[in-house]
Amino acid sequence: MMNYIWAGMLVFGIVFAVINGRLNEFSDGLMVSCTNGVYFVIGLAGIMAVWSGIMNIAKETGLIDLVAVKTKPLINFLFPKGLKKDTIAMILMSFTANVFGAGNSATVFSLRAMEMLDEENNRRTSASNEMCMFIAVNMSMIQLVPITVIKIRSEAGSVSAGSIIIPSIVAGLISMAASIFVCKLYERKRI
Amino acid sequence: MIASVLNQISLFFIPGIITVIIFFGIYKKAPIYDLFIDGAKDGLKTAIDILPFIIAIFVGIEALVSSGAMEFLERVLGPVFQLLRIPKELISMILLRPVSGSGSLALVEKIVTEYGPDSYVGRAASVMVGSCETIFYVLAVYFGVTAVKNIRHAFSAGIIGYIVGIFASLIVCMYI
Repeated sequence: MMNYIWAGMLVFGIVFAVINGRLNEFSDGLMVSCTNGVYFVIGLAGIMAVWSGIMNIAKETGLIDLVAVKTKPLINFLFPKGLKKDTIAMILMSFTANVFGAGNSATVFSLRAMEMLDEENNRRTSASNEMCMFIAVNMSMIQLVPITVIKIRSEAGSVSAGSIIIPSIVAGLISMAASIFVCKLYERKRI
Repeated sequence: MIASVLNQISLFFIPGIITVIIFFGIYKKAPIYDLFIDGAKDGLKTAIDILPFIIAIFVGIEALVSSGAMEFLERVLGPVFQLLRIPKELISMILLRPVSGSGSLALVEKIVTEYGPDSYVGRAASVMVGSCETIFYVLAVYFGVTAVKNIRHAFSAGIIGYIVGIFASLIVCMYI
């Protein structure tokens, strides 16, 4: 799947760079963007180390088990097949970090959760229902305060920069319901 | 008012979680420093693992943007969006949001300065960024750390959620 998408992006890009006479911008862009990718990961690596360290404390001290037991109903609805406690905790951390807009921290929890789901899937090449559900919910997860957007709006002179909070949450919830619905539909079809 | 309260809650999120975990560790008399180091090692490994995927997706998106392929897509899809009565100022927003987080933020900035942050277009663009994710980026990077080749219905769930989110943003902004 990714093989086709990625090839498509590049081929499409090269063709249009030739047509538009933008070969120069194209090559410059590629060189800058790969460097940006490295910078991005370096920034992420520190946050990743910190959160993985902190979460390891929570895991080894048994705090994670406590949280996993308390949130069982919600998790059971999304992942009826059941998951390991560590995985559940990481998924919850990912969801909450998303809700609180902890951008890069949320990415870290999500990636760790995906690794754990991958292990529970025995590293098969076909995604499990749980992976799809996790990604679907994650992608449509609402953010309590979309702080960057609010900042942009107030800098542009908005009289009520925060007025988009409620609409964003409403639209986000509708989108999340749609994603969960699609996943549930596919899961049923499989069985 | 609501904005500042919610903002305060968000601000306390990271310090709050760390405090709870550390104090729980102290209470349990666990070797928290050693545990932290062990976990941090794992975290760094993950960071190295995702590097190639991040670079690949950054390069792929840049190829589309810098070559002008995105602009072409906007022109081709223009009539379709018009048919759906979507304001033309938002077309590039809708197309860019699923692939690029920083790109769509730059675009919101442009839209709110050009049309005003409190105009319908300005509000709708803000809500789109607030409620819709960079789905292609997420799919590429998240599955990047796994052994998965066939992502099954993660793709359709993402796309459908995104489209529903866009329409929800457009409609919600008319009423709220």
